[in-house]
Amino acid sequence: MDEALEKRLPKPEELNPMTKESLAAAFAGESQAAEKYMVFAEQAEEEGYPHVAKLFRAISFAETRHARNHFRVMGGIGSTADNLAAAFGGESFEVDEMYPAYHEIAKLQENHQAVRSINYALKSEVDHKGMYTAAREQVLAGKDIADQPVNVCLACGHTIIGDAPDKCPYCGATAELYRTF
Amino acid sequence: MAEPFKNTPPAAEAKGEMTAANIAAALAGESQASQKYLAFADVADAEGYPNVARLFRAVAYAESTHARNHLSVLGGIGTTTENLKAAWGGETFEITEMYPAYDAVAKLQENKSAQTSIRYALTAEKDHQGIYDSTLKGVEGKSDLAADAVRVCPVCGHTVIGDAPDECPVCGTAGSYFKEF
Repeated sequence: MDEALEKRLPKPEELNPMTKESLAAAFAGESQAAEKYMVFAEQAEEEGYPHVAKLFRAISFAETRHARNHFRVMGGIGSTADNLAAAFGGESFEVDEMYPAYHEIAKLQENHQAVRSINYALKSEVDHKGMYTAAREQVLAGKDIADQPVNVCLACGHTIIGDAPDKCPYCGATAELYRTF
Repeated sequence: MAEPFKNTPPAAEAKGEMTAANIAAALAGESQASQKYLAFADVADAEGYPNVARLFRAVAYAESTHARNHLSVLGGIGTTTENLKAAWGGETFEITEMYPAYDAVAKLQENKSAQTSIRYALTAEKDHQGIYDSTLKGVEGKSDLAADAVRVCPVCGHTVIGDAPDECPVCGTAGSYFKEF
């Protein structure tokens, strides 16, 4: 990041437990606000309010700045090798613990839409876990990963390195509904 | 979201209490993962791993699709009028309750960086509350916002409709760094 910006950012510091809890909760709140506002922007577009949509996107970006600042103060941002390890850890928890438990309960309670939303996420997190493992091996050897597009299904989040499939294997969306990075 | 194919997205449904709590927790988890990965992408770029940065950005987008699906199942996506009211309510809670309480604790504990991160957020949320309030009045009368650009400080999230100031009044960042929407 540009030094002129870097110097104004709040820095990581040794936090007391209560303040750490506060910042963790604020990070959760800002992150969710950022996601909600992006969804609200799409809704505003559909209703014919393009400038309200733009406002939601701008404020979503502001919330991402707050989330980044809080996360930085908490010491959550490390080297890329460390960040890949942290990312792998988060995906593993979701794959091994969180989503299987939520899935069982949603099935028990016959909440079919919740089951779908959980399945879409769980399947993609398995992909992510594998990609993060492979990327970390490269970075630990001082190498970047290969220069290939990464495609993401906008309906379910299915993630693939390389070309999008004709049809999403998880939700059936067609290739043109993938977003290419 | 536009309906790109018949199988999307998971819809709102009446849920068991446990499933509702779980989907809310999953929304929090996905939102935070997305924000972490965006921050990690910036680090990967700075360390000379552009393809790892791309992977982080793609996976962040995948997590956003999961967050949107969970929000949809929770019934959190309404009309633009309802969404503006919800957004205003969230900002108001942060301004009147959450950040003042966190700020008091961070001051007591002399955690300076935390105070900075909280102050940046609290100040910007006041901008947002005011902008949402006036926007809601417009949309209730079926008018879109004016076509002016919205500009956001990349350090503290200060948000203005119209031109950027010479210098951010909250954190001092030069106006030329503001991101335009």
